Amino acid sequence: MAPIGGWMCCGRKSKFVAPLVNNDQDGTYDYDLAVIGGGSGGLACAKEAVNLGAKVAVLDYVTPSPQGTKWGLGGTCVNVGCIPKKLMHQAALLGESIHEAVAYGWEVPSLNDVKINWSALTESVQNHIKSVNWVTRVDLREKKIEYINGLGEFKDPHTIIATLKNGSKKELTAKNILIAVGGRPHYPDIPGAREYCISSDDIFSLSHPPGKTLVVGAGYIGLECAGFLNSLGYSATVLVRSVPLRGFDQQMASMVTNEMEEKGVKFHHKCVPLSVEKLESGQLKARWLNTETKEQSEDVFDTVLLATGRYALTEQLNLAAAGVNSLSESGKIVAEGEQTNVGHVFAVGDVLEARPELTPVAIHAGRLLARRLFAGAQQHMDYDNVATTVFTPLEYGCVGLGEEQAVSRHGADNLEIYHAFYKPTEFFIPQRNIRNCYLKAVALREAPQRILGLHFVGPVAGEVIQGFAAAIKCGITMEQLMNTVGIHPTVAEEFTRLNITKRSGKDPNPASCCS
Amino acid sequence: MSNVICQGLRSPVRRLAVLSKTKAISTSIVHNETILVKNNDEFVNKVMNNEKPVIVNFHAEWCEPCKILTPKLKELIEPLTNLDLAVVDVEDNAELVHAFEVKAVPAVIAIKNGLIVDKFIGLVDTDMINNLIDRMCGKKKAT
Repeated sequence: MAPIGGWMCCGRKSKFVAPLVNNDQDGTYDYDLAVIGGGSGGLACAKEAVNLGAKVAVLDYVTPSPQGTKWGLGGTCVNVGCIPKKLMHQAALLGESIHEAVAYGWEVPSLNDVKINWSALTESVQNHIKSVNWVTRVDLREKKIEYINGLGEFKDPHTIIATLKNGSKKELTAKNILIAVGGRPHYPDIPGAREYCISSDDIFSLSHPPGKTLVVGAGYIGLECAGFLNSLGYSATVLVRSVPLRGFDQQMASMVTNEMEEKGVKFHHKCVPLSVEKLESGQLKARWLNTETKEQSEDVFDTVLLATGRYALTEQLNLAAAGVNSLSESGKIVAEGEQTNVGHVFAVGDVLEARPELTPVAIHAGRLLARRLFAGAQQHMDYDNVATTVFTPLEYGCVGLGEEQAVSRHGADNLEIYHAFYKPTEFFIPQRNIRNCYLKAVALREAPQRILGLHFVGPVAGEVIQGFAAAIKCGITMEQLMNTVGIHPTVAEEFTRLNITKRSGKDPNPASCCS
Repeated sequence: MSNVICQGLRSPVRRLAVLSKTKAISTSIVHNETILVKNNDEFVNKVMNNEKPVIVNFHAEWCEPCKILTPKLKELIEPLTNLDLAVVDVEDNAELVHAFEVKAVPAVIAIKNGLIVDKFIGLVDTDMINNLIDRMCGKKKAT
């Protein structure tokens, strides 16, 4: 019989808690579904399952980062990903807006005194995150989803052991098990990495202002961090190992980095970090190697932020005990239709191999999985044409194929690329840089020219691209796009004005607007 | 006092009574300091079993409106001798939060003789708070 108050994890109760029911051959389990990982994918699946009548338990645990940072329920997105990132991006944009406001007539007293208060910013951001942690916990309680704050691992195919913070262990059995453990930042194997460097796990709650920062890595995490840090007034330098935003359309990636450079971010291309050491002053000396020129360089920073990729947290799951062996080289789980090689063990979210590592992807896949498990549904997740946005100060939003991908899949002769530079109306008055405001459509050459990909660098790119993701899903063609009347004056309408092809060689710069 | 369990109460209160160990004595509050609720027992003793009506404020440190409302409540209620204020930190009192179905903060629940007599969610203005206080005190205020 369950103790009064339910199975709430609590340090005050006894060290070892016996399982509710023995898992045995007649198939009686404690839960219909046990979810390991309380992030975007895990929670979405758990909540949907409960709506469909299942008995569900969710395990969530955050191993502290090398710098000691930990956080509450909700996963990466809520705590150290999308949410704090977007808030800091907004803080950065607001800082820029204050300066632009002057051109619009606002009398801003002592503009030079306008500066960011880092602890006020992090406090606001963390308060918001805590409110989301709380609402999430209340929601789980309301829905009667058992929440166990423990690190889960397999004991056998239907049994999970959760190790709580105080060391005690709790066993539970489940008919179905969902692995939604996500990932954590990867630390390069160089001296000083774990001792002195921070990652995205730490930046959003950093107890002191970051100061002059070196960002190692030029994927979207590195660029977004370097971007907002620079806009907040902290000097930012980025080490790029190969190319920025690898995997994304490279022409668009260079627009993004050009804009960042023009705003003052320094880039060192083809460079890899060698070491980080702490100086007597408390500052950090970082050394790096240019892999092309073989030249070594060094500089002193207040903070070194590593953004060199993320790895899936599969090792600590003891998957062997469950018989799950469908792992890729990188340690991610290969699971077509989110099902591993073990029929009742599933995986969703960042832990999956070759799937976009995005919150909405995990949420949608998690929900569809719950419906297939508990409502007899048939629908599978469509991982194609998922829109995404890089939230650098000048944002980059895209959906569908990049130009390089389209060329390799269809051949350049079978494609028509429409492109244009544009000038947002609001940029004129403060004389904002318009050199990197650019968009393009990658389409099949043959009429009606079905669109394979849309790309946009500019303000509010995420808002601009979202609607077009639905259009791509409907199979939108260039003919339809060109016959769509734009909303004026917006930046999104530039998609409806596309008419110059790369093939024509004509100048894609706008003469003026409204014509 | 066993009135907590015996009377026909609304379900959250009944749930709460089951959860905590009730004592068969009532406590009287000597001071008019705000009651800082740390656990279920304290809540039952000092709020449910209080002879005076109690305004229970569900509060969170990360909640901006709470930082405005809670001091305001303290300011208005501490001088009163016939009404008490109890502050419940939602992070420390998960079971109370669940028992009273608190889904957002700040939340204020007015309790008289162990019964919920009023409730509001969110930051409200001074007039509304004063109205609530008047109703709880039966329109009598200490000078």
